[in-house]
Amino acid sequence: MDQQALRALEACCVQEEPPFCSAACPLRVDVRAFMAALTKGDTRSARRVLDRHMPFPAIVGRLCEAPCQAACKRIEVDSTLAIGLLERYCVAATEQVLKPPKMPAKGGRVAVAGGGLFGMTAALDLARKGREVHLFTPAKELGGTLEEKFRSHLPDDAFIQAASTLSGYGAHLHFQVRLDADALKAFAQDYEALCLDGNEIDMAGLPFAASTPDPVTLAVNDVGCFGGGAPNGPDFQVIRQVADGRRAALSVERFLQKVSLTAEREREGSISTRLFTSIEQVQPQAAILPASGAEYNSTEARAEASRCIQCECLECVKQCAFLQEFKEYPKTLVRRVYNNLSIVQGTRSANTMINSCSLCSQCTIICPHDFPMAALCRDARERMVQTEHMPPSAHDFALEEMRFTLGDACSLARHQPGMDASRYLFFPGCQLAGSAPEQVSATYQFLMDQLQGGVGLLLSCCGIPAQWAGDEALFQETLASLQATLDAFGKPELICACTSCLALVRKHLPAYASTSLWEILAALEHLPPECRTPTQPLALHDPCGARDNAGLRASVRQLCGRLGVQLHDTTMPEELADCCGYGGLMQFANQPLGRKAATVKAGRSEYPALAYCAMCRDNVAGAGKASAHLLEYLFPGKAGDDPLERANPGFSLRHENRSRLKEQLMHSLWQETAGDAPAHSALRLIIAPDLTSLLESRHILHEDVQKVIFHAEQGGNYLLNPENGHRLAKYKPVRVTYWVEYEATDNGFIVHNSYSHRMVLPEALP
Amino acid sequence: MSTLSFTHPTSWRCAACNQDLQPQKVAVTYLHSVFHVELMACSQCGFVLVPEDLAIGKMLEVEQLLEDK
Repeated sequence: MDQQALRALEACCVQEEPPFCSAACPLRVDVRAFMAALTKGDTRSARRVLDRHMPFPAIVGRLCEAPCQAACKRIEVDSTLAIGLLERYCVAATEQVLKPPKMPAKGGRVAVAGGGLFGMTAALDLARKGREVHLFTPAKELGGTLEEKFRSHLPDDAFIQAASTLSGYGAHLHFQVRLDADALKAFAQDYEALCLDGNEIDMAGLPFAASTPDPVTLAVNDVGCFGGGAPNGPDFQVIRQVADGRRAALSVERFLQKVSLTAEREREGSISTRLFTSIEQVQPQAAILPASGAEYNSTEARAEASRCIQCECLECVKQCAFLQEFKEYPKTLVRRVYNNLSIVQGTRSANTMINSCSLCSQCTIICPHDFPMAALCRDARERMVQTEHMPPSAHDFALEEMRFTLGDACSLARHQPGMDASRYLFFPGCQLAGSAPEQVSATYQFLMDQLQGGVGLLLSCCGIPAQWAGDEALFQETLASLQATLDAFGKPELICACTSCLALVRKHLPAYASTSLWEILAALEHLPPECRTPTQPLALHDPCGARDNAGLRASVRQLCGRLGVQLHDTTMPEELADCCGYGGLMQFANQPLGRKAATVKAGRSEYPALAYCAMCRDNVAGAGKASAHLLEYLFPGKAGDDPLERANPGFSLRHENRSRLKEQLMHSLWQETAGDAPAHSALRLIIAPDLTSLLESRHILHEDVQKVIFHAEQGGNYLLNPENGHRLAKYKPVRVTYWVEYEATDNGFIVHNSYSHRMVLPEALP
Repeated sequence: MSTLSFTHPTSWRCAACNQDLQPQKVAVTYLHSVFHVELMACSQCGFVLVPEDLAIGKMLEVEQLLEDK
């Protein structure tokens, strides 16, 4: 990712765009912060906000026409906030809190002709910037020709205070000066820049060559003369005088610095904002009117300010456990990812964050600008793998499981028994084979009975774990092997039970026909004869893998309808579905977050869950929610158990189920025996249930335990505790060293504990 | 280089050598880093004990630190 790509991604996220009120305000007053402070009753902090952004708050705060109000988002719910009245309340209730600093004097003499709000603002901004400012007015005090209808709202000494503020910043004020042609000519000659306040000067009759003020720079000529402000009349607006004064001051500053007057001034004045704010959850709340008829009291002000909905986007964060966990929104997250990838030496503190995203793209669907979070995090992982900065522990376990599934123990590719060609190839996917092997067998039998032309079987892995892990080499290798199988089988139509397999195959092997099991089943005339209607209402939990496949989701709903399921949607249905924590290998790289994601998904409905993704089924069940897989109703198990009561089988059982499924199918369908099982698999383990969950959380498979004990017992290399007869042994099959504390009995090995580490001990070195 | 010690009396004995475990200096490695530590080990065959609290405590902590380097 280069700087340009970073900027483009950052721009995709609108969370930091100004709220609607501040965007409409030409002074960019932080109305949101102002309202937050007032809501807390913290009037001083509210005043600080005005002091920071607004020149002469005691005047402008009372007179501003509040163009922000028309932009207030609240108007879409009930009525706009009374921002203007609240500003009046605030400046009346407080004295100045914040005095913006004055920069060191840096030369540059500027004359401001005219003491209206335009001239006052220009003089103030320039004085604060350290310029030597001289303000001239024919009047006895500041304020120009401001009409009584405005003045009546101000304290008597408002303009005396303003003069004192200006003097405090070092501005020189010259009252009762005739601003005739000679004076203006002299200013133009004697000062490096000149600001003309149209409130006291006839801009049409200037004594030197000048055009009407340029709308962007307010320049009237190219030798440093700027003009703005307006005479009294129907078009006179206080906020316009002030905004123009600020604009003119910036132009003067740039003129004196000899830099471009026009560059990057698009965001000045009232602007539009790209911020998105949902008002879906905003409850109507009647506007508070001042009981006095004119001004708020403190209670009323607080109540009215509390109607502010604090506009922001955060639509993705509201739903995503990952973004909530890391307290980021996409714009800040992309910066952390970028910084993490840029580190040459030092701690890559965002590794875990990058590996924790489920890559499910829920945020992208929700985002008004389709922020591509999955691509960002996945590409970052690929980069980490390429540069050898991927923490090995993040994905090792999942990738070892993937290799196991691809290996001889589990993988199988056969034409339908008795046939030598396949029109279809049933691909249940690794997790369904692990979670519900009985349903895989039954589904395969049904497909063979129903479909003509031969249905082959492929027990394997599509490679998505490697893709999620950023291990592009392993992914390409797996994909090539899948492609070779499809070629060898004569390019049959691949029937995927897993939505993630299907999405991957369609994206990476687009030339090969593929479909979902659900669309195939929905198109058949009959449901399986043994199918069973669930006795209670269920909530359909769509998987993240089906996000881009409306047809697949419709087929599932059609099947549920025919099955007579009393079906409910979750609160995040269809393309909005959450990931269960398996996606992107989240639950491996960040186990606690994986559990949270599963709990969030489980909590999206009060009803028991019906899933059609094996990992959704298992993880939602693991989160304590009764959960069944649709295949368990279409092809109920022979034991007749309630599928809603089935626990999460966990890694170990899924691992064993996959190899057992291959063994059983080879035997029952093709009358073949699988290769010899490894010797360690014959060891009988006795594991207490609470230890089983500890092993799951430590990612230690029963097979790992078997390997440790087998090697220890074979070589006699273990430690012995004479006090209780327990043995303690270790074994390092690949990268992880596993330790098992166990006891040898006649019935098998009682496992008392197991743990692992990745650090390598001297005796384990090659 | 100073050697960190993680030794403490243990009931475990080496079954193969029928020996008590003794503090022993060993070099453990991870991701191109070598750490010289003192662990309990069989003085005869060198079987090194990594107790559970060390494996899931300090050792895990260091592994994670190194992984993020």
